[in-house]
Amino acid sequence: MFDPPYPTVLKPYGQALLALARERKEIVCLGGDLTRQTETDFFRDLIPERFFNAGMAEANMIGIAGGLARAGHIVFVNTFGVFCTRRCYDQIAMSIAYPNLNVKIVGFMPGLSSPGGPSHQAIEDVALMRALPNMTVVEPADAVEIGQMVSAIADHPGPVYLRLKRGETPVIFGDDHALKLGKAQVLLRKLGGEVTVVAAGMMIPAALAAARTLGEAGVAATVVNSPTIKPLDAETILAAARGARIVVTAENHTIVGGLGSAVAEAIAEAGVSALLCRVGIADRFAESGSREFLFARYGLSTQSIINAAWNALGRTASAPRAPAIETPEGAYAPV
Amino acid sequence: MATQGAHDLDRLRRLATRIRLHAVRMVAIQGFGYLGQALSSAEIFAVLFGAGMVRFQHDRFVLSPGHYVISLYAVAAETGLLDASALASYGKDGSQLEAIGTERTPLLDLVCGSLGQGLSGAIGFAIASHLAGERRHTWAFLSDGEMEEGQVWEGAMFASHHRERMDPLTVVIDANNSQVDGPVTSVTTIEPLAEKWRSFGWRAVEVDGHDVEALSQALASRASGDAPLVVIARTETRGRLRSIPSDADGHFIKLDSQLERALLSELQAQLV
Repeated sequence: MFDPPYPTVLKPYGQALLALARERKEIVCLGGDLTRQTETDFFRDLIPERFFNAGMAEANMIGIAGGLARAGHIVFVNTFGVFCTRRCYDQIAMSIAYPNLNVKIVGFMPGLSSPGGPSHQAIEDVALMRALPNMTVVEPADAVEIGQMVSAIADHPGPVYLRLKRGETPVIFGDDHALKLGKAQVLLRKLGGEVTVVAAGMMIPAALAAARTLGEAGVAATVVNSPTIKPLDAETILAAARGARIVVTAENHTIVGGLGSAVAEAIAEAGVSALLCRVGIADRFAESGSREFLFARYGLSTQSIINAAWNALGRTASAPRAPAIETPEGAYAPV
Repeated sequence: MATQGAHDLDRLRRLATRIRLHAVRMVAIQGFGYLGQALSSAEIFAVLFGAGMVRFQHDRFVLSPGHYVISLYAVAAETGLLDASALASYGKDGSQLEAIGTERTPLLDLVCGSLGQGLSGAIGFAIASHLAGERRHTWAFLSDGEMEEGQVWEGAMFASHHRERMDPLTVVIDANNSQVDGPVTSVTTIEPLAEKWRSFGWRAVEVDGHDVEALSQALASRASGDAPLVVIARTETRGRLRSIPSDADGHFIKLDSQLERALLSELQAQLV
């Protein structure tokens, strides 16, 4: 595992999908007028016979994906997260989730990673997809996990929602990192600490940085990476939550219905007594702006995680400050 | 395709009547059901499944409005694809023959209960057939009410634009001018349907949907030309039966025992 600022790579999903589709002829790629933005320009240019641009017509695109999957294809549907969840929810429910078809819906620009305002910010996509029977929901944290996730979901015979950051993607994990669909992973071995942070996707760098700062202030913290949000790996998360006084969930998503809710369900049903704090978008729509501005303003920063844990522990002294991380051009660091 | 002889046409007319008879009996058991849909679409299903149009287990058949599955059950019982004794379980708790088609429905490649979605699935089948070089024909049965859903027109645009990347696709529309709140014409204006489909790049043929000869000819023309074909079948939810009151709710006809007896005797008289 690297330390921030993290190096970045471009289009790890697009490269992984192309490589896999060259091996597996049953893979078909659909897009909705966002080919370069969803990294599928490689696929379009090199396997054009299995690439279809459905234009700005997501409902139809989802239905076509269902027909292709019924005929035996593995279909990757690519567009922004807002458009492939909100716009076509009944189509996903009826044409893909209910018949349990082999369609992978890939939604880019999760949460407040889009500068485009509420129309382009998928802040409740996990909640929507998680509510559908048969649907698996995944959110990898870095380029290494993305590459492994593409193969893992292709091997999983059923519908998947894959939530992906767009553009420069950090490399957090080393080559020894092994993602397993349905499994969470303890990233910092400090079990028995007072705080357990459960995070996924773009909140992993902030969770790691917060745990480090808390540790330096005398609060031992564990970080659990949960790239599979549904089905949640309750076993791993419960093991890390038992004995902790505070469980903090961190998600680039509304606190309603996403990772925080999934963890809440798991620990409540298991009778784990830790206090739960959900760090995420506080049930409101956001606005346009840079990632740095929005993550700080809407409570998705390293400091938000530190404050949540610190206050829940009842510490009276002021919370330790997250160090500013100098980030050269092309590198990535949490806000 | 060879023109059908008078004998064939008479056989198809009688098949349509038997579809209606089955439908009346199925709906009579519960007292309600999707009778109007069966009465309007009986000739369409007779021609699709009784005249060798849909090659079972080779072609793909998509039933977009799942409420019409009653017609499929009836024609399947008549053509030996379904045990006729199963029809009595139509719409009953736990039955595989649900009143609105589901993933459990037998015989279909795709059935949708949420309207406007069938054409998109059919396009997926037509692309898959083309990619595999299978030369299957994909059939999509639609109803006129679901033309109000924008997804139908997304599909129409896509199919026309990508027609060279798809195997043949034929759409049949039961234009019975009926939806839940009343005649389609009273709810919104979807006409002129044929001109709309033509402007979306389709070859559109409009026929009397209770005329088996006109339907057969229109559907037989599917092989000509490179544009996808849509056949708009103009029909009535009363199925041109005198016994049904003119003010009946075509979407959800209520069938009491008096109407049941009248319908059965009117239909049986057509078979004599």
